[in-house]
Amino acid sequence: MALIERPAPALIPAVATPSSSYGVFRRPVETTGWKSWVFTIDHKKLGIMYGVAALFFFLVGGVEALLIRAQLAGPNGTILSADKYNQMFTMHATTMVFLFVMPMAAAFGNYFLPLQIGARDVAFPRINAFGFWCFLFGAIFINTSWFLGGAADGGWFMYAPNSSVPFSPTNGIDFWGVGLQITGIASLTGAINLIVTVLNMRAPGMSLMKMPIFTWMILVVQFLLLFAIPVITVALFLLMFQRSFGATFFSVEAGADPLLWQHLFWIFGHPEVYILILPSFGIVSEVLPVFSKKPLFGYPLVVFSGCAIGFVGWGVWAHHMFASGLGPISVAVFSVSTMAIALPTGVKIVNWTLTMWGGKIRFTTAMLFAIGLIVQFTIGGLSGVTHAVAPSDTQQTDTYYIVAHFHYVLFGGAVLGIFSGLYYWWPKIFGKLLSERLGKWNFWLMVVGMNMTFGPMHILGLQGQPRRMYVWTENRAGDGFFDLGFWNLISSIGAAVLGIGVLLFFINVFISRKHAPAPLDPWDARSLEWMTTNPPKEHNFDQVPTVHHLDEFFHRKYEDRGTEDHHDYHQIATAEEIMADQEANADKHIHLPSPSYWPIVLAFSLPVMGYGVIFNKFMIPVGATLLLLSMFGWSMEPHTASEADYDPPTPEGGAELEVVSHG
Amino acid sequence: MFTTGSKLLIGSAIAAALFATIYGITQGGSLGTVGLVSASLALAFLAGVNVFVRDSNVSALDHASFASSAAAHDSARPSLWPLLVAVGATTVTLGLVTQRAVFMLGIGALFVGLLEWVVQAWSERASGDRGYNDAARGVMAHPLELPIAAAAGAGVIVYSFSRVMLGLPSKSATVAGFAVAGALVLAVGTLVGLKRGVGKSTLTGALSIAAVALIAGGTVAGFNGREVERHHTPADIAHDDECGPEETEADEKASQSVASKSNLIAEITFNGTELEADLIGANGEFESLTLTRANPNNVMFRNKSGSDARLVIDMHPRADENGKLLGPERICTALVEDGGSQFLTLVFAQSSRTLDEGYAFTVPGSDAELEVVVP
Amino acid sequence: MSNSTSLVPKVLTSSMPDVNPRTRRVKRGLFAVASVLALSACAQNAPQDTWKPKGENAQKIQDLQWWVFLIAGIVGVLVFGAVLYCVIKYRDKGQPIPEQTHGKAWLEYAFIAGPALLLTFVAVPTITTVIDLNKTDDATCFINVTGQQWWWEFDYPVAADGTICGYAPTGDALPIVTSGQMVIPADTKVVIRGTSRDVIHSFWVPALNGKRDMVPGRVHTWRFHANEPGIFAGQCAEFCGLSHANMRMEIVALSPADFTTWLDGQLAPYQAPEADTLAATGEATFIAQCSRCHQVDGMTDADGEPVIAAPEQFVWSGAAPNLSHLMSRNTFAGGTWDLLTEDCRADVWGASPDEFGAKYLAGVSDECLNEIDLKEWLRDAPSKKPMFADPEELTETDGKTRGMPYLALSEDQINELVAYLETRK
Repeated sequence: MALIERPAPALIPAVATPSSSYGVFRRPVETTGWKSWVFTIDHKKLGIMYGVAALFFFLVGGVEALLIRAQLAGPNGTILSADKYNQMFTMHATTMVFLFVMPMAAAFGNYFLPLQIGARDVAFPRINAFGFWCFLFGAIFINTSWFLGGAADGGWFMYAPNSSVPFSPTNGIDFWGVGLQITGIASLTGAINLIVTVLNMRAPGMSLMKMPIFTWMILVVQFLLLFAIPVITVALFLLMFQRSFGATFFSVEAGADPLLWQHLFWIFGHPEVYILILPSFGIVSEVLPVFSKKPLFGYPLVVFSGCAIGFVGWGVWAHHMFASGLGPISVAVFSVSTMAIALPTGVKIVNWTLTMWGGKIRFTTAMLFAIGLIVQFTIGGLSGVTHAVAPSDTQQTDTYYIVAHFHYVLFGGAVLGIFSGLYYWWPKIFGKLLSERLGKWNFWLMVVGMNMTFGPMHILGLQGQPRRMYVWTENRAGDGFFDLGFWNLISSIGAAVLGIGVLLFFINVFISRKHAPAPLDPWDARSLEWMTTNPPKEHNFDQVPTVHHLDEFFHRKYEDRGTEDHHDYHQIATAEEIMADQEANADKHIHLPSPSYWPIVLAFSLPVMGYGVIFNKFMIPVGATLLLLSMFGWSMEPHTASEADYDPPTPEGGAELEVVSHG
Repeated sequence: MFTTGSKLLIGSAIAAALFATIYGITQGGSLGTVGLVSASLALAFLAGVNVFVRDSNVSALDHASFASSAAAHDSARPSLWPLLVAVGATTVTLGLVTQRAVFMLGIGALFVGLLEWVVQAWSERASGDRGYNDAARGVMAHPLELPIAAAAGAGVIVYSFSRVMLGLPSKSATVAGFAVAGALVLAVGTLVGLKRGVGKSTLTGALSIAAVALIAGGTVAGFNGREVERHHTPADIAHDDECGPEETEADEKASQSVASKSNLIAEITFNGTELEADLIGANGEFESLTLTRANPNNVMFRNKSGSDARLVIDMHPRADENGKLLGPERICTALVEDGGSQFLTLVFAQSSRTLDEGYAFTVPGSDAELEVVVP
Repeated sequence: MSNSTSLVPKVLTSSMPDVNPRTRRVKRGLFAVASVLALSACAQNAPQDTWKPKGENAQKIQDLQWWVFLIAGIVGVLVFGAVLYCVIKYRDKGQPIPEQTHGKAWLEYAFIAGPALLLTFVAVPTITTVIDLNKTDDATCFINVTGQQWWWEFDYPVAADGTICGYAPTGDALPIVTSGQMVIPADTKVVIRGTSRDVIHSFWVPALNGKRDMVPGRVHTWRFHANEPGIFAGQCAEFCGLSHANMRMEIVALSPADFTTWLDGQLAPYQAPEADTLAATGEATFIAQCSRCHQVDGMTDADGEPVIAAPEQFVWSGAAPNLSHLMSRNTFAGGTWDLLTEDCRADVWGASPDEFGAKYLAGVSDECLNEIDLKEWLRDAPSKKPMFADPEELTETDGKTRGMPYLALSEDQINELVAYLETRK
């Protein structure tokens, strides 16, 4: 039996035994109940919380999208006022990008990255918890603006000077700017945490090129975050000072150049696109090999193309600004660099297709979503090439063609990948399989819905319907086959179908409660996260595995008894046998850090200061005091709880605990 | 529950609050009340801290170990802090009779010294184990010490560096300065990177020398280079009485064109006899310069006349109902030396069609005139 | 299939519900045929169709993009075909576990080199077209364009030789200020020098050229050219706040003779309405209610003093449309509502290039005036076009409005104003 150890009493100096927590409060060491979630620093619990919160915001963003489509279903829509419509599309994008896809990637990353590399937790568990609470409080902070005078209404790109107070007199943009600074802390701390984890905590034998591809993609994303988030933070900081403290960074009368904002925003904004899409690329790169029973085709190239995207992604930002008057040389350069980034992206499509080529394909729901991603993302990628051609882009930018493009990329890419991951890993996380039958309904409704919603937008855009207009009118709609009214209606109906598809997922989740426990290895999977129980134990692995191959788990299960060109794979072990072997050789000393109050308290101080910036400056020092106090408390807190924190203190049983030294 | 010290402090805080109320009601007068309320708040804060650390008293935390604790008879270790407190106290006194800055410095030293003293005293009595005591001091003091020291250090370096750079005599010297500084950092970094064996003390020495040099340079430049802190924006010199041909000072080092190069609506060149306008994006001859009404127009004035010159324009501002002018009456650049250029932002309120004489750029001391049409 | 029918198939496929990859191919064909039919039936495409160039610049874009779309379409078909093939061929039919291989390097390189070559073919003409589209030195006509929330102002500078936009008016040339509709000579290279008075706007008339943002504090040039006389719809394309949807414009191209006529019309001196008519009362009402923001050139008050608008004291952007010749234009309120009734509008928009000039220059006749929208607008502008009308929303702008405020006019006043405005030909 493996033991999660409490600290060893013998470590404390013999002369005196002062308490190590210095405080009057006990550490929240509970392992069940709400406290075990709120104060947890376990990467798996945090991953689940990230996921739940992200899916909640997915629904919020979805409702916003449905309202937008309802407004545009017919000419001169009256469901939303102009004001509300502007808030709606701003918050739809903000919610989907910052509060759904990014935390969803954080959810998968947090949960599976340590499992995939055979680690027991991330490198900085308390910072991990702090990151989650920053995200959640930031997200709630932004959304409270709905009830406090209206949400942000400048579009998610928030171009200056339209984001200045005279043009947006409500507090919406203040909430947006401050809230995103708070969620930015989550991304930044998470990035550092996961980078350190991957670089330092891989299982013995796992070289970088034996690392699962999902982990690789998450690693690339963390580097992108590490460099992109500071840029947007700077921009948001300037915006905050512009709006709340009378600065003139974007005031033309004071000599400012409004394009500064655009550069800052898109230097963040374009890598952000890859931040959104690469985790899903990682997920399908796991799913496709498993259900094709073949390793990922060209694994090294997929890794390198991911890294290449990570680098080149920094040199293409101005393709969002082809129409903003940069001058022909800049436009030409960015046009070419944008075409160049199509190459590593194309490599991935080719490799996924060739992974299936010659395989033994099982069409589970997860696999369907993965194949759906290949097809849908290809459409988005190809329409992307058409506006990498800058002159063509000057016709397409700011029209529905662009809306179609990035929804094929982000919904067809990121979201389908996320759903693929949800179906694939659900039994791992919760120990229950989701219904495959309902899952297929879910898949087909979503795919049909998304093509009905976003497909017609290609036509709308090429027929000249601009984005972000709260109404469209008959006299600019034309008639016949390209009647904008018809395609707008189709698009709105499609949105409803899409909504029903997404709803099926939640129904599926709801009824899966009563399913029988999932088998240990339901998919005949290939990577380390499946070499433990469903759901994994608190310490992940009883025995930290030693890695010899990429796809280690597969190679433990199967052996090639063929010769030369003839291959003949035989199963030599079942997952249960491998698990039993692990338990038999369980590590004796497993040391996990203890839960803590401080991450949530520290994170809580940030929205307090945020409200201070917006409503009453006196709240800023109050929040700052709380911030300093909790930083102080945090740094004074030892990483493991003292014996006195347990209630009741372990009686004589403590003798069974073995003494370990704290590395 | 509460330790003796906490009880004392809580009691004092309550007493102070009580007295404040009594004093406020019976005696009136704000000074005494404020003093007592402040005392009450201060005591409450101390009480809070004390409750949190439980008197820093080993016995309160662990009765059993009290008997064996060596805290009572371990002798105190050497300390720097009494010295700092003494210096601080002297500096405060000195500051009171000399300069406010010196006084503030003394207060700072006093505060730091006292705080460190208290922390050291507390930590040395935390237990009988010296290693443990050091660790205890670390967790207590580092969260404050490290960020403050880092911020102060970074601030001093940044400030000194900026003073040195601003103090350099010319633009090319500034460029050279940046290049040299960058090259030095790169060279030292490369050396350290290549020679893994560089001793810690060597490195510390080199860095200390660099820091001292930087701070010394910064101090010198800070005193010498006061001038460079003055900078003029076009608005500063838009006074009517300064728009003649006489000299007013323009800051040559302040860039007039960092953000404005791509923002220009027109370039106006003075060649000694006449003003020529180059409208960005328009070729062909225009008899006048057409500038938009009610919009910031950025123009660049280039002086190629061979002598100093400035560009002037009457703005014909409208008056509000009280007769107060809504904007400057006349706008001009500073005196630009030959080959120099200066940036000007103009907002016209009225269409030139509605004016009797219209708008025109002129150069005092010459007949050059350039008509400006505001549609 | 018929990829020779240019890019339409590509557009359609992506719009098609992706029900089943197998049926997609069939449907692709059907849609291609259907679209050809639809096109040949010559249905009226939307006026902002980006695939119907009517001028040199838009044509250059079209020439570049149609085969980019074609290549994209072909690549798409290849990828879908490969996926479909895998899905059908390599289903789990009980075959043995395939070889655990990471593939062949040469295949990988081929799949990089191929697309790289394709993209090079696309990149070269892209660069030349970008540079070509940004030229301004071959133009003979310059127009200053200024965007503000939520309408466009156009002013025509006078060149040194006394011409406007390359054409000499009959009388003295003076700068012309107009809004909503930019009139240009047909078959002439026109360069706009655009800026903005408040936030970023984007000038977009798809039939003639792509977009160009108009950024406050900057001057951006963009070239236009119309092959034939006609009216070309446009729309502000950069999100510019509350009424972004209601910020439109048209470019009107006229033959040289018609353009000179138009110039003369714009430069015609002020004609006060005849005394004792409704319009004359309207003039007084206009001076009392409208003239603090709206300039009507040449108008004098009862004392004979010129009436000068001072919009910068009341409107945040500092400008309001010049109404001197309102009825020479077809739209009002940011180009969103028509001054023409529906039939008259259709007549102008549907006119052939030969007839167009005469129909446009006729302006808004009394029987063609769309009184309904105009009166609604005068009654309560902010409820027709959202403009931050709530007084609380004006605190941040020192009480200045961001568009036309609610003026609480009586029905009589509205009738008088309409009568007066009708005389502003």
